[in-house]
Amino acid sequence: MTAGPSAAAAIGMIRSLGFTHVLSIPDSESRLLHAAVGDDPDLELIVPCREGESVAIAAGLWAGGAKPLLLIQNTGLMESGDALRGCGIGPEIPLRMLVGWRGFAGAEAGRLPIDSAYTYTEALLRAWSIPYEILDGADGLDAIERMDATAAQTHLPAAVLVARRFEP
Amino acid sequence: MIERMDLFRAVAALRTDEVVVTTMTATLQWPLVSQHPLDFDFLAFGMGHASDFGMGLASARPERKVIVWKGDGGLLMSLGSLVTMARYGPANLVVLLLENRTYEMVGGQPLPPSVDFVALAHAAGMEGGGRDGSGRIERWEALDDVDRRLPEVLTEPGPHFIVIPVHNSEPLPPVSHSDHAQRVVDLRAALGVSER
Repeated sequence: MTAGPSAAAAIGMIRSLGFTHVLSIPDSESRLLHAAVGDDPDLELIVPCREGESVAIAAGLWAGGAKPLLLIQNTGLMESGDALRGCGIGPEIPLRMLVGWRGFAGAEAGRLPIDSAYTYTEALLRAWSIPYEILDGADGLDAIERMDATAAQTHLPAAVLVARRFEP
Repeated sequence: MIERMDLFRAVAALRTDEVVVTTMTATLQWPLVSQHPLDFDFLAFGMGHASDFGMGLASARPERKVIVWKGDGGLLMSLGSLVTMARYGPANLVVLLLENRTYEMVGGQPLPPSVDFVALAHAAGMEGGGRDGSGRIERWEALDDVDRRLPEVLTEPGPHFIVIPVHNSEPLPPVSHSDHAQRVVDLRAALGVSER
């Protein structure tokens, strides 16, 4: 079984890229990263109630000069559609997102039924023209760096799909 | 109940260098009393999320108060925002809830009649809440309340959540769909935010 990315290493990457705030709603894939953000004195953790809130708060933070990172699950990405349209894509606010890819492991193993959250995630990102990277495994945290650069260059939201659960 | 344009005039007269975020019908009438580089039109940025945006903005700019004109229908679209604000709302956030009990912008359809927005804010933990524990909930019934309390609200720590029952008897200007990206560029320029 392929190992997931290290939460500790991810924190190092997040800090090195200059993020100031992390807006996170806990989910199974990212719970260890969520906890690590909460333990980091240099990152401000905000835990909204729904992902649409996360997106709008992040847009306000960015407009005010901060650099927020969204940590959400793909189901939350779907929930946040109108906020993402209105606070990211439309006004060209370069929101950076780590998106837990619920359903990836089951689909990879061929377990039926396939989780529809897995099925629609990439299709949805493509429909919104949101560029994305896939973080699959312990290595490859540089996907976060590439996503960050893409958002900066395009002035549009960009995402990393996190295929496996974060590990310590 | 306060005539909304009178309310806007009263607030505009006391406002100095605060950011003012507007949404829905406030985006149509606030510009009649204010043309300020720190006015931000949130129309069409995301249903129900004006105060969330304001909370982010206020968190990033703690040196400056951020006022959000929010509608009661918009609040119902994102009630969880109250809970989030009660936990993380910064001291410089002021949410002025325009309570007209209708979805005015889209035809005046009534809101659920028994909703008590002050009670909802209390239940969410706004009183004594916010990031610094200085959250306040108020209800302003008359223009005298604005004149008496707003100067204090703009200087004392919050976050403030203030419910203001309003009605409108003046014609609404037409909706203007100015460029969304440019609104953000202009706001950041007015705040002196550099690109990053």
